[in-house]
Amino acid sequence: METRPLGNTGHDSTVMTFGAIALNWLEQEGANQLVEHVLDYGVNHFDVAPTYGDAELKLGPKLRQHREEIFLGCKTQERTYEGAWRKLDRSLNRLGVETIDLYQVHGLEYDEELDAITGDDGALAAFREAKQQGLIDHIGLTSHGDPDLILDALDRIDDLESVMFPLNPVVAGKDGDEYDYEAVLARAEAEDVGTLGIKAFAGGSWPPTDELPEADRPFANWYRPVTAPDEIRERFDFAAAQGLTSVVSAGDPKLVTMILEAAADYDGMDETAQRSLIERVRHDDSPVPEQLHH
Amino acid sequence: MDVPETVATALDDREVAGKRCLEAGAGAGNATAGLLANGAERVYAVTDDRDHARTTRRRIGGGGDNDDGNDGDGWDDRGDRLTVLESDLRAIPLPDESVGLITAHGLCNVLHPATLSAVAEELSRVAAPGAHLVVDDYDPLPDDAEIRELFAVENAASELARGRPALTFYPAAFLRRFFAGHGWEFERERTLLEPVPWTESHVSAHADLAAEAAADCPEGPADSLAATARRLASEIESESVGRMYSLAFRLPG
Repeated sequence: METRPLGNTGHDSTVMTFGAIALNWLEQEGANQLVEHVLDYGVNHFDVAPTYGDAELKLGPKLRQHREEIFLGCKTQERTYEGAWRKLDRSLNRLGVETIDLYQVHGLEYDEELDAITGDDGALAAFREAKQQGLIDHIGLTSHGDPDLILDALDRIDDLESVMFPLNPVVAGKDGDEYDYEAVLARAEAEDVGTLGIKAFAGGSWPPTDELPEADRPFANWYRPVTAPDEIRERFDFAAAQGLTSVVSAGDPKLVTMILEAAADYDGMDETAQRSLIERVRHDDSPVPEQLHH
Repeated sequence: MDVPETVATALDDREVAGKRCLEAGAGAGNATAGLLANGAERVYAVTDDRDHARTTRRRIGGGGDNDDGNDGDGWDDRGDRLTVLESDLRAIPLPDESVGLITAHGLCNVLHPATLSAVAEELSRVAAPGAHLVVDDYDPLPDDAEIRELFAVENAASELARGRPALTFYPAAFLRRFFAGHGWEFERERTLLEPVPWTESHVSAHADLAAEAAADCPEGPADSLAATARRLASEIESESVGRMYSLAFRLPG
């Protein structure tokens, strides 16, 4: 599988990152098998979080067995120094490892949170101490939030080495600043910061729960994913062709093999085909009736 | 509103800022949105279809019934820079040599040859010396495209009802030479979409038009054409096939 430099971390990540939340939906034996399956494809970057149910615990056994083959990303939603230290200790314990390669601020959403994590008593102070102590190697940040906020974070956090954010053809077709993750990608590239793409496989929102109760959803994802092999493949190709370091796989284990296949076969995507995909999802999603043209 | 990638790509090597522009055949106002976003001084969106005029006004604003999309950065004066003209493209209510850039985005395929010829003359009349022309359209579909059958039914119904086809897909090379014949110097061609995603909404919109035309047929095959269009639409659902291209020209002077 193709690898790309993760910013200036010195690590070359495979163009697919395994989103280990998928392990949460499996029993331990199935989780072990899935990790072996992912490693068989050569994937070398895994991403997990303490908020993904039992994923850390279920990743543990195979992670420890294959520790040298896996660049491990983990994250915390804690914004304070103490909270971040507590969660880091907990993740190290649950994963059963000595170090985490990439520790990320998880799900930054508001300006106040950026103020909090960069303050004297903020999470990043804990991250830096942990880095000095050799418990983590690199610092990253993840956000589904406003692209401007991620740009601010890139400005204000000098030792930020990776950012994780949404990128897919639905988002790429929208013009507003609130969808301009392309600007984040460009800035990160210019500053040699690694880029990890999420929501590459998002098809749309789930119907309201009175129409489709959560228990009746056929996939574990937070969003309604695309599920056909061809769709998965073009979504992967699109995300990888934008220039992300790596595309994070979808959270449902039923989709992982299709994504692995797409990642293994990835060899670029023509710009005309990228535009075709943006156009198609734009029309699928369009509130304007009766459009004959593109 | 969001500017479609097709429009953004067709315009990104054209100078739009400060120009008086004309969107020939406004449809849903897609090219108009792109021209305004790129800083056009004024955009005349010309269409002979009242619904399209209303849609363009509503999406871009300035028509008095604007209800959204007009409060973001850079959008505030877009309605002010837009004039929607309900007019036949063969008789555009603008003076000679009065616009600096013309778009025909997805226009030519809904014009049969005789109309296309008259429209091209009128576009040349309103274009100022040195004006740009951007023509975006579809190459003829390959023989094995399923959606060809739906377009064939749409054309059959239109021929019977109105004496002309609904759709004519002109090859890029044809329109290139055609507009050159009207005095436009060819500057470049680029591919906007390949394949072209004919989505469920496109397919059902075309089936609706076919059924509408069939209903206007004086007698005979109306019901069967409408039913065939519906059947084909449900069989095809959606199909990605063909190529959409962009041609750019410039008037000498």
